Amino acid sequence: MPRANLYYEERSPAPLEMVWLEFRSKPLAMAALYMLLFITVLTVIGPLLTPYGANEQFIDAISLPPAWSESGNIRFLLGTDELGRDMVTRLIYGARYSFGLPVLVVLIAATIGIVLGAAAAMTVGVKSSTLKHLLDVLMSIPSLLLALIIVAILGPGLGNALFAIGLVLIPQFLHVTRNAIHDEQKRAYVTASKLNGVSKFYLLSHVIFPNIIKILVVQFTIGLSVAILDIAALGFLRLGAQAPTPEWGSMLAQSLEVAYVSPWIMALPGLALFLTLVSVNLVGETLRVAINRQLER
Amino acid sequence: MSRYLLRQLSLLLVTLWLLTLLAFGLGHWFSGDFITNTSGIFPEDIRFADVAEARAAGADVFSQYSAYLSHLFRGDWGVSLLDGEPVFEQIALRFGATLEIALLAFILALLPGVPLGVIAALYFRKTIDHTILTLSLSGYSIPVFWFAQIAILVIAIHWGLVPISGQINPLYEITPRSGSIILDIFLEQPEHMGAALHSAFAHMVLPICILAIMPMMLIIRLMRNSMLDVLGQNFITSGYAKGLSTARVLWNHALPNAMQQVMRQLGTLISLLITNTMIIEVIFSWPGLGSWLVRSIYERDYPVIQGGLLVISALILLITIALNIFHAWRYPQVRKDLYAAS
Repeated sequence: MPRANLYYEERSPAPLEMVWLEFRSKPLAMAALYMLLFITVLTVIGPLLTPYGANEQFIDAISLPPAWSESGNIRFLLGTDELGRDMVTRLIYGARYSFGLPVLVVLIAATIGIVLGAAAAMTVGVKSSTLKHLLDVLMSIPSLLLALIIVAILGPGLGNALFAIGLVLIPQFLHVTRNAIHDEQKRAYVTASKLNGVSKFYLLSHVIFPNIIKILVVQFTIGLSVAILDIAALGFLRLGAQAPTPEWGSMLAQSLEVAYVSPWIMALPGLALFLTLVSVNLVGETLRVAINRQLER
Repeated sequence: MSRYLLRQLSLLLVTLWLLTLLAFGLGHWFSGDFITNTSGIFPEDIRFADVAEARAAGADVFSQYSAYLSHLFRGDWGVSLLDGEPVFEQIALRFGATLEIALLAFILALLPGVPLGVIAALYFRKTIDHTILTLSLSGYSIPVFWFAQIAILVIAIHWGLVPISGQINPLYEITPRSGSIILDIFLEQPEHMGAALHSAFAHMVLPICILAIMPMMLIIRLMRNSMLDVLGQNFITSGYAKGLSTARVLWNHALPNAMQQVMRQLGTLISLLITNTMIIEVIFSWPGLGSWLVRSIYERDYPVIQGGLLVISALILLITIALNIFHAWRYPQVRKDLYAAS
């Protein structure tokens, strides 16, 4: 006998689950997610997969085209660069610098920004709208320019570039968190919890936070896309990662001298960067649309 | 409105003042001597003693700052540590060059961007909409420095259609006056003006097209989203019910209202455009502010860094505030919101 449904009960999925269901119905977004997973795996276990070292040179194979062209060699699937280094190896190692490090930087910046933003929203701070307007205007200065200022003070280098990007991203997270919490605080359920007499910390961590996490995730993808692009741009301008580092941006910068003779050296790092950015943006955009659609209901 | 205007202008003044503080602070934070960092005169130079006195070298920070400000307003921004060129004159020259490509790229982005966004909104969730959206998302993700290199490789080198870098063929002796090459040609009135203009145009077309891509993609998305909001409103339905043609509804009722939301985001878009301009200038050796600033950072040319950062940031702030004011002037309902918030 099948179990009779005694009560009319409609199981409605949790908010995050609903976003996930919406997300899964988009094939393109799922492809982007798998791409990101793939890059993440490469970032974590990359060096175990590569046959050579990132800066290992092969004197007998300089500027070799990819394996499928006539003069290619199957030992070097995507060819070698002008110093005889394997492109596949360098690209995989580059994922650490161009994807792994930005993720770490954004994570750190997000943690600091969210904590500060929550603190700013929960305490009755300066409510002056002048200060808010001032911050709005100052935040209109683009992140790359701010990073340039910081790099100008600290000097070029990968560490300084990372530090600069992290520093630039913190205010954005702070701003988003603070605004999100402010918006939620006007909702009825927050008032209800307050009337229940919960502590401030409980209110923040168990009542408000689950409801703003979606906004923070979207902001995370935005920040990640900015960080990846800016770190690569700094590397390209030779202000970030320096010469032998297999960072995609600086690989692009080094390839300029040989771009005409061996275009694959230039095309490949850019392609990797492009695929990473498209995936991050696609995932972020789909999440944003899914969340918006959920809000409309 | 006057209240809002006053508020925005005071905001501008405060932010600009903060900028001068930052630029002044940079002089101290850079390694090396403060006077050399801000004036570009080395201690071995004969003029050093005079400059040090004028910039209040031994005095406290406040008198140093006031001396810095007075130099700033006089247009005495020091000289470059590398080539001894006065920074202010150089900035005035390069500013025009930067503004020229940025402005043209912006216009180029606006022309197809707005109609494409409208089309995507009209065919909401149809194939056309999806195609435009996917294209705009991938176009937005292309790293501009990589795309520029590919374009140079294919269009300029492989096909040989346009020159690789620079503003104009050096055969035409155009003395830079305003920095903007087209204006300069008109000011100079050279013998073969048509040919000179043609050369300038050929040099310009590639950087501008590449620069226009990112803002165009953003405009498409912004336009589509705000158009969707507007098209769902009652007054659009009533417009159709009155029997207006689709073109009339779109042109007279939907577009002006949709532009309001786009206008709000325009500041972000322009600041992105300016960052990209800096990168593009480096790639195409365009003699603008951006390439000069980037070079000065790795050459550690401190007076140039100070001046360049000040000008670019001030430009972005000015544009943001100007857009805010224009937005509030053109759309009074926004003003009402702002008053309610304050």
